[in-house]
Amino acid sequence: MLEFVSRISIICFVASYAVALACEASRLLFRSGVRGAVMVVFAAAGLVAHTAFLVWRAATEAAIPLSSPFDWYLLAAWMLAAGSLALTLATPRTPIGLFILPVVLALIGAATLSSRAPFPQSPATQVWGVIHGSFNLAASLAVAAGAIAAVMWLFQAGRLARKQAPMRGFRMPSLERLFETTRHAMTVAAWTAAAGFTSGIILNAVNKQRGLLETVPWTDPVVLRMAMLVSWLIIAAVIAGTVRRRPGGARTIVWLSLVSFAVLAGSIVWGLVGDTRHGVPPSTPAAGNEVAS
Amino acid sequence: MTLAFVGGTHRTVPLPLREQLAFSAEQAAEALARFRDQFPGREGVLLSTCNRVELYAAGDNESAPPAREQLVLFLAECRGIDAGLLAPVLSGENDEAVVRHLFSVASGLDSMVLGEPQIVAQVKQAWAIAQDSRTTGPLTGEMFQAALRTAKRVATETALGRERLSIPSIAVSDFVSGVFERLDDKKVLLIGAGKMACETLRYLREAGARDITIVNRTLERAQMLAAELRARPATIDRLAAELAATDLVVSTTGATEPVITADFYRPVEEARGGRPLVILDLAIPRDFDPAIGARPDVWLYSIDDLGRTCEANRKSREKQLPAAVAIIEEETRRFMRDLHHRWSGPVIEQLRAGWSETGDAELERLFRRLPDLDDAARAEIRQSFQRYAAKMLHVPLASLREESRLGPPHGLLDALKRLFDLKE
Repeated sequence: MLEFVSRISIICFVASYAVALACEASRLLFRSGVRGAVMVVFAAAGLVAHTAFLVWRAATEAAIPLSSPFDWYLLAAWMLAAGSLALTLATPRTPIGLFILPVVLALIGAATLSSRAPFPQSPATQVWGVIHGSFNLAASLAVAAGAIAAVMWLFQAGRLARKQAPMRGFRMPSLERLFETTRHAMTVAAWTAAAGFTSGIILNAVNKQRGLLETVPWTDPVVLRMAMLVSWLIIAAVIAGTVRRRPGGARTIVWLSLVSFAVLAGSIVWGLVGDTRHGVPPSTPAAGNEVAS
Repeated sequence: MTLAFVGGTHRTVPLPLREQLAFSAEQAAEALARFRDQFPGREGVLLSTCNRVELYAAGDNESAPPAREQLVLFLAECRGIDAGLLAPVLSGENDEAVVRHLFSVASGLDSMVLGEPQIVAQVKQAWAIAQDSRTTGPLTGEMFQAALRTAKRVATETALGRERLSIPSIAVSDFVSGVFERLDDKKVLLIGAGKMACETLRYLREAGARDITIVNRTLERAQMLAAELRARPATIDRLAAELAATDLVVSTTGATEPVITADFYRPVEEARGGRPLVILDLAIPRDFDPAIGARPDVWLYSIDDLGRTCEANRKSREKQLPAAVAIIEEETRRFMRDLHHRWSGPVIEQLRAGWSETGDAELERLFRRLPDLDDAARAEIRQSFQRYAAKMLHVPLASLREESRLGPPHGLLDALKRLFDLKE
């Protein structure tokens, strides 16, 4: 059994998610009585393999979730995949996977490009490190959830504006629900991103004060892009609160959410290609390919 | 030719022209009064719904129904439309095709939503208006009665009668639910109170709507409906305020001009504070200026906007069509046979009476010559005479019935009249 689990690779769950996504996409082309079951089976198989992969890493390489950029992305992808499967089971006629699974695959892709080296840890700063990573993870998931709901809002609004009947077996959630999801996700993203950034500053200050780990300068690319992301999310949340009760406010908020996702994606790409002192052990030179968490 | 019709539907007449052509109940009554004066001795029924305007006419041998061109011109004059615009978009039929068409219409086979039940009430209403206008007669009477009977058969004997979908149900399930997650916390505003509005309200209530306001031109009518539909009445001068507060509007007034113009809506939009507004404009002519549909947060659906959904619905139900069409064909054949048989009825009566009179006279002469016959013998002889007469008449009457299936048996009737010296 352990040998079987040890052989599970990223390809296993990527392939399963890809098949589930293809099943979702085929709703646009034809109707099928067995597609739903096939899709759920592949999505569940992918999630099981994904879980086993994370557990195996934690057990054999002491790579607990959030302990490296690689694990951070995989955990984010796992949470979205689990959410997608749960929503698919709860509302089988809603093609939720069509919107969530591409983000899951993109996160797994980002994981494969990022460093597997664990963030330096010390007992004194571990709590702050976990808080910092957890808030950043929550903020990223909130931005992704808001953007997914926003894309679905645009999709549904387009259908309603074109006066088209819903496709059979392809029923989207109401605009009201999608808008509320987007709006709440933006608020959560702003608060958690701010908390994540603040906890990062505290973590850095503790490191500096105690001389435990190398401190990250204010001009570090990771600090700059996180500051940019947090600033934007707060500005977007404030704008959303302002325009909410104005004509066309819903559409504006939806687009703000999509811009937030674009800023997050840009921030991730920046992190993948830029140099940083973030999360680097004191004795080593700047290591590339490490991102916020 | 005894039956004729001209008409157009949502498939043939563009919406702006259909709006001009539509008749309110009062306008239909006026038009039929005009029909009576213009075509004396002819029968006429005007069916005007959201999706169709059709004029049915009937005559007899002495006064045939008006020709298609006359009927098109009549409709054009009634509504003040250039007949040149109407002629290309209105279709016309005669005799059996008229019957088949009316039966299809009454059964919902020609409706936007296949098998919709509303059309039956609309056909009944059209008939009632024609009766009040004294333009009905035996032909249209039998045809419309047969149409309603056919509609009932289609509804009960085919799957079209089950799980029927109508424009209101589609509007609520496919469009209102696409915007709103729930309706129990939404305000619904009903402008006008047509039959479709009441049906829409029924679906909205089933979907959870509780807070309903009815705005009508007259407060009394609004109060009456509000009591019936468990809603709150309001007068038309409150329209702007109600519109600003509502989430969903169902509009079905009989107004001939838009009730809500873009200028009227502008201040309402400001007062709404960006809340989404779904408008189901089920009136013909439209109650809402179409420009309002382009405003942010407004989802405006007119009858024609729902057409595409209805077409999809129609396709999914096409499998059930053959059974319904078979009923319509059967009823059409029966009606036409009975109609044709009406022509031969007087001839048959004369033929039977003639044979009976001749036989009775011969029997009397025979009984006078044979006075010793007892009653039993007389009865036996009388029965033999009757059987003989029936057998002699069987072949010509059977031929007449057979001919009636194919059309009016004018040739055979003329031959019988000449052979047996029958009078008109």
